[in-house]
Amino acid sequence: MEAITDSELALSLQAGSLEALGVLYDRHRGLVFRTALAITGDAEAAADLLHDVFLRLHRFAAHIDPQRPLEPWLYRMTTNLSYTWVKRRQRWFRPLEDVADWLAGTRKDTPAYQAEKDDSWRQVQQAVSSLPLSHRGVVVLYYINDLSLLEISEILDIPVGTVKSRLHYGRQALKQSLGLLAGEILPELQYEFT
Amino acid sequence: MEKKSDAFLRKMLKNWVNRQCPPDSGRARLLWEAARISRNKIDLSVILLHPQFKSYSSSNDWSQTFFTWINENSIQFGIQARII
Repeated sequence: MEAITDSELALSLQAGSLEALGVLYDRHRGLVFRTALAITGDAEAAADLLHDVFLRLHRFAAHIDPQRPLEPWLYRMTTNLSYTWVKRRQRWFRPLEDVADWLAGTRKDTPAYQAEKDDSWRQVQQAVSSLPLSHRGVVVLYYINDLSLLEISEILDIPVGTVKSRLHYGRQALKQSLGLLAGEILPELQYEFT
Repeated sequence: MEKKSDAFLRKMLKNWVNRQCPPDSGRARLLWEAARISRNKIDLSVILLHPQFKSYSSSNDWSQTFFTWINENSIQFGIQARII
């Protein structure tokens, strides 16, 4: 079953094969999960979005052209659903989180909070999450998924020049947040890099 | 220098997302949900273009049974009426 191409699996999926859906899920779940995780910064949300993306693949299989590569469709659906999730969260939960922090009051003085704050990976997550959503999508597709500028422009349906500019500002903002512009490298991250 | 820091950024972001994996139960959950949707899906084209008249057979059977019962009993009542 592993040797079967995505195009053949898409045809089987259009014929109603759930086995084909399972094989496509096994083959591409990492790509979808990583993209959703990087954009949302939330593992639970990424797992739900992974489920939603493949459920939509099953529901709208008839509208997919089996002759074209499946990955751009998956990237597009993942980024769109992730954007929707982030916007909804910003609208409804951010004010609640602010109130919760205000009510907690002394939380920022606790050792647990300091330990959490010192976690280098959390700093990376915060740096990515602080990027504007449109820049975040480009940065994630470029750095994490190794896509070219042209591929990103086709997936997000924006001109290549816009991709370049968003990537430039996203890159600069990330480096500034992570202290890379000043030549600092977080010790834990350096360890992971080597 | 630019390329070096870019490569570092790429590696760091990849390491960050690779620390978490998709849930193991995801596949089973997806296939269960997809099977449920497939069962509930009504294909309107089949109904409109290829109507399944056979599905009405049960109601035909019911009406046939009803009229058979009327006929049989009316005959029986008729016979009884004549005897009396």
